[in-house]
Amino acid sequence: MKIGVFVCHCGSNIAGTVDVVQVAEAAKSMPEVAFAKDTMYACSEPGQQGIIDAIKEMGLDGAVVASCTPRMHGSTFMRTVARAGLNPYMFEMANIREHVSWIGKDKVANTRKAIDLVRMAVAKLAQNKPLYSQSFSINKRVMIIGGGVAGIQAALDCADGGLQVVLVEKTTTIGGKMAKLDKTFPTVDCSSCILGPRMVDVAQHPNITLHASAEVDEVFGYVGNYQVEVRKKATYVNWKTCTGCGACMEKCPSKKSKDPFNELIGTTTAINIPFPQAIPKRASIDRDSCIKFKTGKCGICAKVCPTKAIDYDQQDEMITEEVGAIIAATGFDLMDWHVYGQYGAGRYPDVITSLQYERMLSASGPTGGHIKRPSDKKEPKTIVFIQCVGSRDKSVGRPYCTGFCCMYTAKQAILTKDHIPDSESYVFYMDIRAPGKMYDEFTRRAMEEYGAKYIRGRVSMVYPQDGKMIVRGVDTLAGAQVEVEADLVVLAVGAEGAAGSAQLAEKLRISYDSYGFFMEGHPKLKPVETNTAGVYLAGCAQGPKDIPSSVAQGSAAAAKVLSLFSKDQLQSDPQVSKVDLKRCVGCMKCAITCPFGAIKETEVRGEIKAQVIETICQGCGICTSTCRQGAIQLQNFTDNQILAEVNALLSSETEEA
Amino acid sequence: MDKELRIVGFLCNWCSYGGADTAGVGRFVQPTDLRIIRMPCSGRIDPLFVLKTLIGGADGVLVSGCHPRDCHYAEGNYYARRRLEVLKRFLPIIGIDPGRFEYTWVSASEGQRWQHVVTSFTNQIHALGPVQRIGRQSLAKACSLGTVLEPLA
Amino acid sequence: MSLQDELKAQIVKRLPELDVVIGWGQGYDSLHRTPLFITSEADVDKLVFDPLCVHNLSTYLTRYGSAKRIGVVVKGCDSRSVVELLQEKLIHRDKVMVFGLPCEGVADLGKVKRALAAKDLDMGRVRAASFADGDLVVTVSGQEIRLPMAEVQADKCGRCRYHNAVIHDEFAGQPITEAAPDTYADVAAFEEQTLEERMEFWREQMERCVRCYACRNACPLCVCRDYCIGQSREPNWVSQRDGLEEKFFFQMIHATHLAGRCTECGECERACPVDIPLLLLKRKLGKEILELFDYRAGTDPDAKPPLLNFKVQEDTINERGW
Repeated sequence: MKIGVFVCHCGSNIAGTVDVVQVAEAAKSMPEVAFAKDTMYACSEPGQQGIIDAIKEMGLDGAVVASCTPRMHGSTFMRTVARAGLNPYMFEMANIREHVSWIGKDKVANTRKAIDLVRMAVAKLAQNKPLYSQSFSINKRVMIIGGGVAGIQAALDCADGGLQVVLVEKTTTIGGKMAKLDKTFPTVDCSSCILGPRMVDVAQHPNITLHASAEVDEVFGYVGNYQVEVRKKATYVNWKTCTGCGACMEKCPSKKSKDPFNELIGTTTAINIPFPQAIPKRASIDRDSCIKFKTGKCGICAKVCPTKAIDYDQQDEMITEEVGAIIAATGFDLMDWHVYGQYGAGRYPDVITSLQYERMLSASGPTGGHIKRPSDKKEPKTIVFIQCVGSRDKSVGRPYCTGFCCMYTAKQAILTKDHIPDSESYVFYMDIRAPGKMYDEFTRRAMEEYGAKYIRGRVSMVYPQDGKMIVRGVDTLAGAQVEVEADLVVLAVGAEGAAGSAQLAEKLRISYDSYGFFMEGHPKLKPVETNTAGVYLAGCAQGPKDIPSSVAQGSAAAAKVLSLFSKDQLQSDPQVSKVDLKRCVGCMKCAITCPFGAIKETEVRGEIKAQVIETICQGCGICTSTCRQGAIQLQNFTDNQILAEVNALLSSETEEA
Repeated sequence: MDKELRIVGFLCNWCSYGGADTAGVGRFVQPTDLRIIRMPCSGRIDPLFVLKTLIGGADGVLVSGCHPRDCHYAEGNYYARRRLEVLKRFLPIIGIDPGRFEYTWVSASEGQRWQHVVTSFTNQIHALGPVQRIGRQSLAKACSLGTVLEPLA
Repeated sequence: MSLQDELKAQIVKRLPELDVVIGWGQGYDSLHRTPLFITSEADVDKLVFDPLCVHNLSTYLTRYGSAKRIGVVVKGCDSRSVVELLQEKLIHRDKVMVFGLPCEGVADLGKVKRALAAKDLDMGRVRAASFADGDLVVTVSGQEIRLPMAEVQADKCGRCRYHNAVIHDEFAGQPITEAAPDTYADVAAFEEQTLEERMEFWREQMERCVRCYACRNACPLCVCRDYCIGQSREPNWVSQRDGLEEKFFFQMIHATHLAGRCTECGECERACPVDIPLLLLKRKLGKEILELFDYRAGTDPDAKPPLLNFKVQEDTINERGW
């Protein structure tokens, strides 16, 4: 093999503290090196041309550039080498700037270190093999999981961009958490008035296929070619014929069913449509409270249904959707607030969550928009809001700030005053976090215009006394204990990843944190990407955020998908694992540790062998270090390539001694 | 500082190698003993690379990857953590000081932390001194026998 | 019916379903047993079971390909290798029939040899061997010598937690109820030496290694066989140079490749022709894995082994604040 070594001065960046001429001279005596030279700026146009000329003139098989970090110019020089007619992988880099010249002033030691690094790069290059990428076609359909406002935005943007969109929603209607809200901050405009039209757009868009009451069961494939198995959960109503007329709801005798849409305040009928603007506006039966399912007798809904849509024997249906990209927009749930025993969470009916309060404020909610406390349906006059319930509280394992509670608490205090003008609101807070356009002004209005009394401090306990809820806490600004006799206590419960998000992350092979939020590709630079190619994030699934941010992320994720789909073919990264079939014993330990499901079982002459799906493999090499036979080798980081570096380094030490 | 010792680092490309780059960009001066081998992921690091390096005569081996939860490949450092912990606990039985091998997590943004890690580890290795190389020793022993015999001759 | 007869009857009964049954037979002299491959009822008569049946026969299970149905006779310790092989999907449950046995301990022929040598007797001249009242009774050079089993028993048997086969389709004899605790006292005792003394110890031991690979070939879990990375060029982990570092590193490959898998059957050490105490390296790993992950290899075919698993937050790994 004929290797060329090019040692960069980088002006004085390297040459200032490394004797680059000596490094080039030393490289000449290294095994397989046919040419070595120093160069002023290897990355400059003349620098690159010098490399190309040397490769062509000397008939070199590969090049080592000793300069900056490969994270900076690795791809630059790979293209240079390719322009000279070599395979781009016949190239190695020795990082003698960031790892040598910039971190030490001793020129002798630096030069010795630079020579070692070049020796290692040369030894590795001697083991390199040309690698080739494959082209594969893209299925230009996108699946969006979760029909909240982020998912809706992503779906509409993708669909408007000409993509076929499959929207999968777990519940029987899209709308998500936003559909449950009465008003939105800081404009106090009606939530369903702004969301409703968007939901209708989804229903009417010719490019959008909506699967409500459906969940992702399994995900196969890779970027550009995913196969997603979707389970359409039985609703016991044929949605093709149901018109959403609501006749069944009127006549259903089981009126004490749980009402999850209304956050379990109030009840609903066993067959129901969650709210008037639901999309799709279709009825479904709650098996657990339906008399027909419990006793076998009843069947009233079937009798009254004008289109004979009721089907008590309906089963879950599995369908497979083929898509090229997936956006996960599964949103959030409230954390389990029952851990706050000191607030009587779950024990006292008049201690409720902010989302329950929101349903009370809503004109379409169970109280018709009248604030009535759950215990005696009386109108409360004194209302205490407790913030940071499950936010910034390490004692319950929630160290993070949910971020939007300060804002909605201010909104709810304002709305309370609008609903009950002679009411008094108290807000216990830790700090008011209101960064955003018109946000801080909004919280000030709650205090100044609407007279909400903000008390900086935590509440220690809440207990009932003579029909009131006594809220005992501390006012840290006044340095005093405070006690408020409240009629109703509203807890600003923090958010966590939606139920089932961890399981979905496993299926999508994306990472998630211990709160169920999905991990973005990079906290700053890849906020909607994941480390799995072709899977993107939007909305609260990635972390708590308010409506504008969720919408922005929905659009951002859509833009990512549109840009991915702007090409007809994708190039696979050739730096993937490869199986040596004769060495493989078929134990499939590689498949166990592969974080991407890129390794599958195959049968070769009756024996089980591992097979790498090159388009899924991301090139981490966990399989390579798992395989005891060395049968599966990550290309460009094979055992032999790394061992060559180790041996080159250790032998250099021997020579010295 | 005394004579340079042979210290080898296996760093994941995405976090720690980047952290070492960041340290360079920030001109955070470090001891010069360390030679870094770039790996795609700490999960790629077979503990045998560490043993090979130590038995082959390195005075210290430093492995560094992404912080748990931050692995570019989601899970690589979790496997690495278990494998490397077992390795570190194994070393004493073969007479290698476990202090000659450390594994750590440094992110691409933590240039200063990288400087700290390299400096402390290098100091730790210098405190332990040059390794008694397993293969070299037999040669040394033969030589020492020679010196014992010499006065007799 | 004796345990041996019961076992024979079980093998005769199940033999028609199987291509071969692996048991033990009489070896080249009265102290040695050898693996016996039973393919017909006539072979069953050659079967022997006594404390001289030291081999872990599960080693042979991975050598038949997936088409054959194989029966294997196992002691408690051997059965853990079967479990481990099943867990690693290297054999399949429906292709393997396990004839389990209870075992009170096997003899260590090295100890027998030394015990006889102490009486100026040569183990090579033993003409007959039998067991009575917990003693190994040998006839050597015209004398009858009684060696208490407690003195010539393999070390692993003294700390055995699994006297009975932990997996079996047939079980002969009565299960043994007691189990000894294993505190890894041998590892602790060895580690009382200084690091320098330990390295010196291994230097002397490994110097003798001839890289015959007997340790590897006897190991039931070394399934790579011809593709062991200790010998290959692609990947080329260790050269064929006959140096101490190469020998030592080969043993590092063997040990680390068994981390979290080794059932401590001790076949590597028994097979070693130059008596390198190889099991000590594996027991060190076994001890650390037990402490870290509360895991003993070869006890649950459905377990996910610790090194192929992880917790986002590890309970037992202290990352030492680096």
